Amino acid sequence: MEQHKFPGTLDALEPIRKYVEHVAQSAGLDHKATYKLCLAVDEIATNVVLHGYEEAGLNGDLAIGAVLENGNLVIQLEDHGKPYDPNFHSLPDPEDLAERLESREIGGLGIYLALDGVDDIQYASTAKANIHRFIVRLLHHSESTA
Amino acid sequence: MPLEMSSSTEGNTARLSLGGELDGSSAPSFRDAVDKLLQGRPERLVLAVEKLTFMASAGLRILIFAKQKQPTLKIYLLKPQETVVDTLKKTGFYQSVYVVDRDEDING
Repeated sequence: MEQHKFPGTLDALEPIRKYVEHVAQSAGLDHKATYKLCLAVDEIATNVVLHGYEEAGLNGDLAIGAVLENGNLVIQLEDHGKPYDPNFHSLPDPEDLAERLESREIGGLGIYLALDGVDDIQYASTAKANIHRFIVRLLHHSESTA
Repeated sequence: MPLEMSSSTEGNTARLSLGGELDGSSAPSFRDAVDKLLQGRPERLVLAVEKLTFMASAGLRILIFAKQKQPTLKIYLLKPQETVVDTLKKTGFYQSVYVVDRDEDING
């Protein structure tokens, strides 16, 4: 998988979205599915920069790549910050989401949107890197929009 | 595309026009602009977002910030794009702000 590297800062968000948008459109995703995938990757990349790097006092890169695999579009995001598995984050429940804004908790919305934006997010933390894999089922997508 | 903003205040209505992309990088500028407008204690905050093509949760958090700072504030989103509306609906924000398509619908 060819990787594109960006510094692990918030300035990387825009070029990362541009890359994801290009890959998604090349894979045939429609505007809405492309947007949701861009949002998912953006939210996780933001968390990696803010929590994995900045809060942890670490510096590093964000490496992104894409591959078509068994009818799926897979976007892979790698970092070397503090490990953080989005699948173990507490998410807002329906009661939280119905709460008035002035009573809302600030956190959790990003990962909630990320998980909603794709079919699956796989996570692994290895000695080499932390790896997020964003899975979009292309067959499922074309069936649902047919 | 970088976030572009312009603001104005007319009577009890503060207006902030947003264009481009609102993400974790540009959200602090958005927060500063909202904070500045709220210093005038407006009754309404109108966010004209027709040209806003991307909004991450960092943008939603500024809406929470505005309501927590001034709970009686009425927040209007004027002409949001469909993808932004989807995000508002998914997160429950749609019920807490006024989403309108015309300036004439901003009242109360």
